[in-house]
Amino acid sequence: MNRSELMQQLQRLWPGSLQCNPDASGLTCEIHCPSEKLPEVCGQLFLQWKLSFAGLIVEEAAEEWHLRYCFYGGAAMGWVHLLVYFPLNVRTVPSIVRFVHAADWHEREAEDLFGLTFEGHPRLGDFILHNDAWQESVEPMRRRFDPQEALRHRKPDTEWRPLRIVQEPGAFVMPIGPKYSGVTESVHFLLETVGEDVIRSIPRLFYKWRAVEKLAEGKSVDDCLLLAERFAATTAFAHGLAFCQAVEAVCSAAVPPRARILRVFLAELERLRQHAGAIQEICESTALVVANSQAGILEEDLLRISGELTGHRYLFGLLSPGGLLCDLSDDACNNCLSASQQVLQKLLDLQKRLRVASSFLDRLEEVGFISLRDATVYGLLGPVARASGLIGDLRKMLPYSDYQNFAFDVPSEHEGDGYARLRILFAEAQQSVRIMEQAIAALPGGGICAAPRLRPGAALGWVEAPRGGAFHWVRLGEDGKIARYRIIPPSFANWHGFHLAVEKFAFQDFPIILSTFDLSVAENDR
Amino acid sequence: MLIPAFLLIFFLLCGSGILFSLFAPASWRAGIFAWFGAGAAVALVFASASALITGNAFHLLLWSLPGLTTLTLTLDQLSAVFLLITGLVLFPASIFAGSELKIGCPQSFAALLLGLYAAIVLILIAGDALLFLLAWEIMSILCYLLIVDARDNQFDRASAGYLLLAMGEAGTLAAALAFLVLAVASGTLNFAGIKSAAAHFGPTVEWAVFLLSFFGFGVKAGLIPVNFWLPRAYLAAPRAFVPILAGATLNLGLYGILRVNTDLMPATIAGPGLIALAVGTLSALVGILYATTDNDLRMMLAHSSIENVGIIVAGLGAGMVFIATDHPVPAAIAFAAALYHLMNHSLYKTLLFFGVETVHRRAGSRDMDRLGGLIKFMPLTALGFLVGALSIAALPPFNGFVSEWLTLQTMLRSSVLSSTAIKIVFALCGAGLALTAALAVTCFVKVFAMTFLGMQRSENMNSTEAGAGALAPMAILAVLCLLFGILPTYIIPLLNSALNSLTGSSVADALVPAFFSSSPAHAALPPAFVSDFHNIGAQVGQSALPGRGLVVMHRGGAANPVVFAMSTTYMLAVLVILLALTFVIIRLGFTRARRLSRRQRWDGGIRRLLPEMTYTATGFSNPVRVIFDAVFRPTTVEDTRQTVEEHFRTAIRREKQREHLVDKLIFHPVETVVMWCSRTLSFMHHGRFNAYAAYALLTLLVVLVVFLFSQTP
Amino acid sequence: MAQWIINGLGTGIKTTRYPRSVENAPGVTPGLPCGGECSSPDAAAQLARRCPTNALIQSEAKIAVDYSRCVHCFRCQRETESPLAWQSTYEWAAAGGSLDLLDGPFRKSVHIIVVDAGDCGACLNEVKQLNNPYYNMHRLGFFITPTPRHADVLLVVGPVTDHMRVALRKVYDAMPTPKRVLAVGACALSGGVFAGSFVCSHGLSNILPVDVQVPGNPPPPLAILHGLLVAVGRKSPASLLQTPPAAKTTSARP
Repeated sequence: MNRSELMQQLQRLWPGSLQCNPDASGLTCEIHCPSEKLPEVCGQLFLQWKLSFAGLIVEEAAEEWHLRYCFYGGAAMGWVHLLVYFPLNVRTVPSIVRFVHAADWHEREAEDLFGLTFEGHPRLGDFILHNDAWQESVEPMRRRFDPQEALRHRKPDTEWRPLRIVQEPGAFVMPIGPKYSGVTESVHFLLETVGEDVIRSIPRLFYKWRAVEKLAEGKSVDDCLLLAERFAATTAFAHGLAFCQAVEAVCSAAVPPRARILRVFLAELERLRQHAGAIQEICESTALVVANSQAGILEEDLLRISGELTGHRYLFGLLSPGGLLCDLSDDACNNCLSASQQVLQKLLDLQKRLRVASSFLDRLEEVGFISLRDATVYGLLGPVARASGLIGDLRKMLPYSDYQNFAFDVPSEHEGDGYARLRILFAEAQQSVRIMEQAIAALPGGGICAAPRLRPGAALGWVEAPRGGAFHWVRLGEDGKIARYRIIPPSFANWHGFHLAVEKFAFQDFPIILSTFDLSVAENDR
Repeated sequence: MLIPAFLLIFFLLCGSGILFSLFAPASWRAGIFAWFGAGAAVALVFASASALITGNAFHLLLWSLPGLTTLTLTLDQLSAVFLLITGLVLFPASIFAGSELKIGCPQSFAALLLGLYAAIVLILIAGDALLFLLAWEIMSILCYLLIVDARDNQFDRASAGYLLLAMGEAGTLAAALAFLVLAVASGTLNFAGIKSAAAHFGPTVEWAVFLLSFFGFGVKAGLIPVNFWLPRAYLAAPRAFVPILAGATLNLGLYGILRVNTDLMPATIAGPGLIALAVGTLSALVGILYATTDNDLRMMLAHSSIENVGIIVAGLGAGMVFIATDHPVPAAIAFAAALYHLMNHSLYKTLLFFGVETVHRRAGSRDMDRLGGLIKFMPLTALGFLVGALSIAALPPFNGFVSEWLTLQTMLRSSVLSSTAIKIVFALCGAGLALTAALAVTCFVKVFAMTFLGMQRSENMNSTEAGAGALAPMAILAVLCLLFGILPTYIIPLLNSALNSLTGSSVADALVPAFFSSSPAHAALPPAFVSDFHNIGAQVGQSALPGRGLVVMHRGGAANPVVFAMSTTYMLAVLVILLALTFVIIRLGFTRARRLSRRQRWDGGIRRLLPEMTYTATGFSNPVRVIFDAVFRPTTVEDTRQTVEEHFRTAIRREKQREHLVDKLIFHPVETVVMWCSRTLSFMHHGRFNAYAAYALLTLLVVLVVFLFSQTP
Repeated sequence: MAQWIINGLGTGIKTTRYPRSVENAPGVTPGLPCGGECSSPDAAAQLARRCPTNALIQSEAKIAVDYSRCVHCFRCQRETESPLAWQSTYEWAAAGGSLDLLDGPFRKSVHIIVVDAGDCGACLNEVKQLNNPYYNMHRLGFFITPTPRHADVLLVVGPVTDHMRVALRKVYDAMPTPKRVLAVGACALSGGVFAGSFVCSHGLSNILPVDVQVPGNPPPPLAILHGLLVAVGRKSPASLLQTPPAAKTTSARP
């Protein structure tokens, strides 16, 4: 189905209620929808026509709430944004959770940050603002929010208890974290269990919430780019690229071809390095010591290659809206490519050895299983989704930055267990080097940056980050400063679906399943 | 002269106690019971101790019933052992019951309990089958009455009491049949007469008597497969009575088995002994499995009683096999192990029940999943409970270790046997008992930790320390547990005379050889043995201590002349020295320059550690449940409530319904058969008087015909 | 089993010789800007304004660099008329507060507990690289422990977020004395790019007494290693304020 057919069907099903406006670039179609019809329309889009749900963007305009539900399909469909506008004093809107379960956490976040109530959502509250640290109705993302007042009159709920679902005699809740294990990110798990295996698990996130979206408001585009790179620095280039693309879309700026190709090259270099890091985590969690060391060597090699090429191991300080901040010489890029090819060779050797390490495979095979149906319902992204058979890669579906000119495969499996996710990591690393070779071969000369003329407006920028699809929504104000910055990272959807993989498995499998998901708390918490 | 005097004092105290408590005002009843009961128990202890120490027996003919037998009282060494332990247990139990009854004593409770004391003693000193069975019936009925004492009308109490009575009667019937067979085979109901005629019994009589008496008395003892009344009865029994139920009446079943199968009719074939060994091991395993996975404190102790009785019976069975295969020394060791374990079990089980009942009264719950952290409120109770738990888990220097060691040594002694099949059975049972010991440690670690340590699992639990009435009995028994543990070399000679009569060999010489210079027996010992003796240091304290030294040891046979030895006295001494030394070194060497600071516990950095975040008893014992799933076979009922198109789960309700193995395999089928028979036969109960008269006439006619036919040649 | 032994032995020794000699493989460090002199005070002022975190301190035509604020945006080096020179060193750790650092038996054996108080992931990843064969901090006697009861050094990464305050405080309180605190990364020193957020603190020193500060965003593993060696007294600390050579900063920061 393509976009025009979609428009016709929508008009047929809800005649007169919906108002469709395709935008200038032709890629996005905005549909105004009254809030009563919202759940049905979302159900139609998500369940019947199988569009993917990117996220919910809430903005507080002058007199109205602007809610934007972003759906996307393949190249023929593009983006479909459902807009729901209603006055500021109306605080309730129907929840779409019944049809689009992937919107569960988006609505909870909107409730915590903006104070909107989503009717029909059974689990609002205690999401970003922990109830035992903040009282209700703090609403930090509102314009009228005063941080000093909020901090001074804080009233945490000292009697808060976790919600308990399991009612078995002898069941208890096993707490893990926020400080646990050796060198791990801070996240709190509550595992409901009767002793040996996990019956239900809830991760309690947002211990690392830095309120990046609030901090960004009023900043200049350059300063906001710093935030975009540094809120989840292990995939800094990807997020920075999404932000730059959003700004370039707002300003309708064209990026020079050399910059586009170099962006692809650097993004794939980052993907290769991040996947090597994920492989190292998996080997560490299964305590396969030599493999852990080997993967660690490869990750450090790639960090050093990145540092040698660009001056920073995590590719900071390269991006700029309109291109790149500094040029990279062809020789340096060639050296980087050959070094990366050597690293890839060693990585594939490692895979050959792991394939016959039976004790290692025992801990990964048929452990941490996610079915295709669950992956679709929860809207999982990235290698995790592809291991369950949900193939959705933004580089193929909605190509950006010249990806349509590159030939590469998107690997997928269907077992959905830990070993499938590991195989996807190796396969994607191989494809990344393939893209890098094509990029170097096709690298044109020319300028590296065309600084855009900032003008007010809003647009979405998207990128297939190493962990999955990342979406950045940027609205520029009259003064050229950021009025609203919304980040929808891939780890947000994957953390949402993480509990599916852990339940019904033993405690000992928990850290291994966690490592196969390659989740980032910093990315989720913002 | 002492023995009859003390026995007379005992009966007088019991009788007067009954009378006083029936006619005294309500507030005095508890005190009367405590004083009279304790006094009676003290008299018992003196009577039995003097019997054991002096080696005298006591014999008295009461009434002569022509045509049947003369009712006789006999207090021989075996009875003395049982009387001793009964007295030692009843003394603190009376004090404890007195303090419990102070809160409220029903009309006849004290009288019934004192009557039970008298019945127990009568069973133990009965010298002929009729008096034995009479006293046994009285004891059964009194137990039933004490349990269904219906102050608070609970359905469970009535049904549990009824099951106890029904099973008790079935057991009594079987035991009576056993005595009947013995009487027919020997011509008299008198124990002395039966003993002298025992040599002429054939294997048929032996098997019949064994099976009837083993499973008949096994009901009271609590052996699988006839013990399904035991957990229910223990749950239903009132708080003052349950320690006595566990500590004193359980031994009566074992006394019955012992008396019939080793004293009256010594074993000549190995079969019965093997069956006893196997049934004992099976009971022990099943008992401890259910004990480890149960969360109610009383149920757990009930299953643990089943386990300990299994161990005792396994030792008895091993002894019977050794006697049948003509190995008197290993048999003596086996019986010593069984009797020692019996005494130890009474001591620490009663102590544990004191602890459990105190916790129930003070904290209000018996469910381990709701207790926790009680050591802060009741440290002394916790200490007493800890001593009991360490004893039952067979950890030195407490008494459980000695009897467990002796029992396992007995299993290893099977190397002297010649038949391979018997040796295999011994090996399997030995392995089973070792597994039992390991599970027992798990069980009691869980019990102590979940009840007393850690965080409180339910809020609003205000517990207070127990009063002196509960703490004093616990202290007495705890001290006794320790003494029985560190002075085995003084206890085993006490058992010597009893075992001598059973096996014909002296267990004291085998296990606790005398100091060399004080006994002429050493002249007969081989020199290698003597030098081993010296090497172990068994002569320590020779000039200072009376008695036979401080090491329990025995030698292998001529084929493997190895010496096995252990000394819990030494262990305690070394333990104390090491602890003191460690304390001094650490204090002087390392911590004198440093301050000790107390910090909050580390909990992962969460804001508040809640009671639901600690391990529950169910969680702790879950691995055992999972591993032995084939035994438990639980049926899981899972019910998940979901909302919003099944995406949000609101409740997951899981219930694991577990039916006890014995219930499933034996109780319910038997119940079904009995009910079917009753229903089928109920056609005869139609209420017409004429038909009942016709039944009587019919029976008379049949008897006459049979008599006529039997008379005609 | 044998394949892993052969594989491991065949890889050879990858470990760096640091601290015995200088490590200068490419890509081990992003470096930090040196203080320098611009053509004119206006140029210097313009350059100082370009820094988003006010890490460049201008006094007349000279620029001094406050390392605790540098977030490696490279704007003082790229796309600017008077770029600052950058040095590719890594021994940046400074001793904040007193110089009473761990000594004695801790010189060759110390246990570290790492607390992530809101870190972006890069600092934590660099700390994790310390265990890979290139750096192998075990050979220097540094071990990571998950429990504060065994820890001697507390290593904090990230601007301390509001939700992590209680946990961080609990970790610090649960550690036995003597204990030292290491603040690693620009976010832990000054809040980094998150300094303006209402749920982040302006540096760890507002919450805990900090002994060693390691600047960088993120500091490379060698810099963190240097910080640990400073904490146990095996290396001498550097200074967080880089003044231009042969010049003293006289004016205070506005």
